[in-house]
Amino acid sequence: MTDVDLERDGLEPGRTSVDHGITARVKRSAAYRSIFRHAQLDTPRGRALQSFSNFFLHLYPVKIPKRVLRNRYSYRLGFIAAVLFGILLATGVYLMFVYTPSVNSAYGDMQKLKTGVGFGQLIRNIHRWAAHLMVLVVLLHLLRVFYAGAYKRPREFNWVIGVTLLLITLGFSFTGYLLPWDQLSYWAVTVGTGLVHYIPLVGGKTQDLLIGGPQVGQNTLTRFYALHVAVLPALLVLMLAVHIWRVRKDGFAVQRTSVGAFAEEATERPAAAAAATPMAEAQPDLYGGRVRLLGVVDRESITEEERPVDDTVFTWPHLLVRHVVVALGTAAVVLGLAVAFSAPLRGLANPNVTPEPAKAPWYFAGLQELLSHFDPLIAGILIPAGAVLVLLLLPYIDRNPDTRASHRKVAVLLFSTLLAIAVVLTVVGVFFRGPGWQFIAPWTHSYIEF
Amino acid sequence: MEETPRRKFLRDGWKLGGALLVGAAAYTGYEALRPLTAGSSGAKINVGSVSSFAPGTSTYVPAGRMYVVNADNYLFALSQKCPHLGCHVPFCDSSGRFECPCHGSIYDLAGEYITGPAPRGMDRYHVAIAGDTVVVDTAVEITGPPRGAKRFLTPPKGPGCIGKA
Repeated sequence: MTDVDLERDGLEPGRTSVDHGITARVKRSAAYRSIFRHAQLDTPRGRALQSFSNFFLHLYPVKIPKRVLRNRYSYRLGFIAAVLFGILLATGVYLMFVYTPSVNSAYGDMQKLKTGVGFGQLIRNIHRWAAHLMVLVVLLHLLRVFYAGAYKRPREFNWVIGVTLLLITLGFSFTGYLLPWDQLSYWAVTVGTGLVHYIPLVGGKTQDLLIGGPQVGQNTLTRFYALHVAVLPALLVLMLAVHIWRVRKDGFAVQRTSVGAFAEEATERPAAAAAATPMAEAQPDLYGGRVRLLGVVDRESITEEERPVDDTVFTWPHLLVRHVVVALGTAAVVLGLAVAFSAPLRGLANPNVTPEPAKAPWYFAGLQELLSHFDPLIAGILIPAGAVLVLLLLPYIDRNPDTRASHRKVAVLLFSTLLAIAVVLTVVGVFFRGPGWQFIAPWTHSYIEF
Repeated sequence: MEETPRRKFLRDGWKLGGALLVGAAAYTGYEALRPLTAGSSGAKINVGSVSSFAPGTSTYVPAGRMYVVNADNYLFALSQKCPHLGCHVPFCDSSGRFECPCHGSIYDLAGEYITGPAPRGMDRYHVAIAGDTVVVDTAVEITGPPRGAKRFLTPPKGPGCIGKA
């Protein structure tokens, strides 16, 4: 009996009798087969069909090189960020059922979550911690890609999309920061939007558009809410889709060659090996582990795999099982943090009383620290805008094709120095600043707010 | 092959149409976000009689989100917003100065810059005296004095509220 016959009868290889159980009958029914078109056969062809015929599994390639399974290949940071985004979407929807973006009711809604809604505070805590972790993980993802040199050809544009995704993530966090309408959020956003004023020529106008009036108020809350729940999610989903698609198109699993540059090795085949083992002869058997994807593709496409030795494994189950474990681990960490540490809620926002200290969120604390030393135009606009611009253009500035850190010392040294400065500024801003932005020892009194 | 004028016309038409659509969307967005009020509360506020503002004092006027101060017998209406990043600058009674808790900018009684990261002194509103009544026009904010201005600078009365005075 062939694989096709087995599938048609809902049988697995090796089985000869038809199962008359309810589950098997349901699986053989026309309705079931209109949804799941292929039986879950535990064969190479069956696994490939599952990937091809499932929208979600189709995000992945059918097969991946074995090295992708190693955790240190990417530390799964991009995937973890995507999981955190999923957690944020789910908890965000719950919060939207309770929350009204009005200065008269927003703060009360936060209290209602705590006292009147079952699991309300927990959901808010999860949302808060997932947001912090997403910023952290996206930053770490960026660092990993930089130090691996994975932004080089052919991935230049995907790096640009990645930096854009980081900016959107920060935008998410910043717009969400205002929504509780407490003293912490009010003044952090006042300080944050105050920076915009220093943009030459258009600063005042841009600040007006952002906060919608002379000071942070109802107009600000309305537009931050719209940005947070509609504009930014749409942008992020769109950019993330392009990001993931390009990861596959630019080479899902690239390898260092002797010169260290990324090779589009899936598209190439050594001439000698090709002559020695014609593809038809090397992989004649359907069950032999190779499944060819037939479709309209460019000759140069990386989907045209012509490796003489098949070092690949099926994404399902090998990579997916690992991803499920990572996703569960991520969810466990977020849940643990949410149970242990509640999201802060200070007093109701009061435009007439600035709390001491008025700190920005931790990812902007370095910027706030910088602002206490330099003119706002320099510290608040020129330095951060310059840093973002350099990050965006990095693959086009750094023309060295080598990916090994030891062969790109200038880039690594410069980047590491700037990173160290940013980390020091952030640590000082978060831990060593107290009322009036005076230096304090964090072990005597802590003014850290998450 | 040479592109026919008709195809070129249609191609350019699509581009123009797309550009117009983007422009219209951007302008609509601007109109939706543009605040409909000016940069301040915009009203003329009667803040009291001249005699109620003794020399060397600062009085907070919540209606205008401002302070009315008497520095060396000159009356000033100072915006409560720190010109650095917009925090509310409280008046420190012990030092007799305005001290911003956000980043530590300090101003004298007349709102002149003393120290800190602020780019200038505190912004002001126009003050008019009608008879014995002090009227502040909050429609127009007057940019604060530059950093070097120290006409009303006096030594601090005592310890500062944020430890810098």
